[in-house]
Amino acid sequence: MNGPQLGDIRPCLEGAIPAAMATCGEDGMPNVAYISQVYYVDERHVALSFQFFNKTRRNILANPRATVLLLHPQTAAFYRLSIRYLRTETAGPLFEGMKAQLAGIASHTGMQDVFRLRGSDVYEVEQIEAVQGHPLPAPPPRAGMLTAVRRYSERLARCTSLDEALNAVLATLSDFMGVEHAMVLMLDAGSQRLYTVASCGYPTSGIGSEIGMGQGVIGVAARERTPVRITHMTNAYLYSQAMRSSFEAAATDAEALTEIPYPGLAQPHSQLAVPVLSAGRLLGVLFVESLNDLQFGFEDEDMLVAMAGHLGAILDLMQASTETPEPAPPATGPLAEAAGAPLRLRHFGANDSVFVDNAYLIKGVAGAILWKLLRDYVELGRTEFSNRELRLDAAIRLPDVTDNLEARLVLLRRRLAENSPHIRIEKTGRGLFRLVVRRPVELIEG
Amino acid sequence: MTAPLLPPDLLAMMDRGVSVIVGSRDLAMRPSVMRAVGSSLAQGGRSITVYLSRRQSSQLLQDVAASGHVAVVFSEPATHRTVQLKARHATMRNAQPSDEPLLARYLESMEREIQRVGHPPALTRAMLAHRLDDIVAISFEPQEAFDQTPGAKAGTLLGGSAP
Repeated sequence: MNGPQLGDIRPCLEGAIPAAMATCGEDGMPNVAYISQVYYVDERHVALSFQFFNKTRRNILANPRATVLLLHPQTAAFYRLSIRYLRTETAGPLFEGMKAQLAGIASHTGMQDVFRLRGSDVYEVEQIEAVQGHPLPAPPPRAGMLTAVRRYSERLARCTSLDEALNAVLATLSDFMGVEHAMVLMLDAGSQRLYTVASCGYPTSGIGSEIGMGQGVIGVAARERTPVRITHMTNAYLYSQAMRSSFEAAATDAEALTEIPYPGLAQPHSQLAVPVLSAGRLLGVLFVESLNDLQFGFEDEDMLVAMAGHLGAILDLMQASTETPEPAPPATGPLAEAAGAPLRLRHFGANDSVFVDNAYLIKGVAGAILWKLLRDYVELGRTEFSNRELRLDAAIRLPDVTDNLEARLVLLRRRLAENSPHIRIEKTGRGLFRLVVRRPVELIEG
Repeated sequence: MTAPLLPPDLLAMMDRGVSVIVGSRDLAMRPSVMRAVGSSLAQGGRSITVYLSRRQSSQLLQDVAASGHVAVVFSEPATHRTVQLKARHATMRNAQPSDEPLLARYLESMEREIQRVGHPPALTRAMLAHRLDDIVAISFEPQEAFDQTPGAKAGTLLGGSAP
């Protein structure tokens, strides 16, 4: 193909300006319609939003050839696409990616009650024509994205722990992409929920807060394993505590007690969630949001996908390396004596939740880990532990062998640091750590 | 002469100057499409003229010449209020200096219309930029008109009938 490639005209495929589409019926009568979305699928395919059963729809099913007129939103250059209809998708990654984009477009254009995605019509792009005209000069290409990937890659390569890797992710987002609000969530394969392990830019960290598969932008990105990007404020994907409560009306009081509030913005105008995958498995989600419209374009999405790929690989590598602990360094002198009033720690076996002086701390796998550490500490006087023994301990009930134990420890360490500073977990080596207890503890079961 | 196809408020919208997209098709039923750089109404909407840049629309103009078929959409950007007109006997001529005031008036209206949805007049001027000696006027008597505003009534026949 000569002339522009689809990748060259991606600014035209952001839904900023509606496209026009011509089709032709069996009777030979042409038809013209506005189309909200011409969505980039890959270098040879676009998907158009199928919202209404209309003349365009009937025509395309009878005669698959169509011509689309696109306008570049900054230069006003026209491009004409000769396309051929292939199929309609009504679920899955492409559909969900388009549905999210359409929700933003609908909200921006006051059409939220009218625009509804029925399907993603996939077309092969046969030809792209750059229409002659008098376009405005193109804005300079966005600089520095490759450099940002490089810096991130360097930072990540130096990391020796998951803590450091998570910090490298958040620092790269804020240093190079101007991101002010971000989260990293990990998948709990057993409950099929995502839990927050790192965040920045929120009044509370929300470490430990959970999101279900399919809930909000984050949950849809996880369920469909596809980036989900919204460029305008929309109610369609708002995730809030209230929404969760109504979704999960069966939530019991006990569940409400152990709920850590979701830290995200109440009124985000731009949101982008990207799945973190490795070897075909979903590990978690990288999420950024903003109070501004149009904050995240396709280049930000490209960048986040690249970052998520690196992160997924490093998560798996670190996981593998912690399974074979290196020898512990010699103890650095006697540990400080526990002193002061005793902490009362209560454990509920039903969900492995742990409360410190009646305040909720943690539950699930991380709760089971903490309880095992505390019992060994109280009953056996142990303070040195390894990832490996936790994985082998049946009482902890890790969902499966691929579960990211290191991420559980990061979650536990951060929850303790924020809520119970008298109990700490310190890394002492690869796959090794120490429990530091600064006050006497009293363990209560149930 | 037939009765007007279109209600007065739609005619007023079209006469004011809103977005106009023109489509046709070749003998193999491959559709063609381009945005018009101007439009005008005569005889209470019974005669409609749309203006296209020849070098931007070579396939479309060839198709209109060969088939006479046109589909033309008028749409108000801020409200999505949209009407589509269809005809089977469109005619073409080169634009004349006498068409120039119409094109200027159309550009002025479009700058306002597009600004209402947040795009600066410079974008509209670039989008509609043309040279008069490159402009072709396509005129037609609409045979059918359809309400095409997104929503429940989209696709409703406003007037006219298929032959």
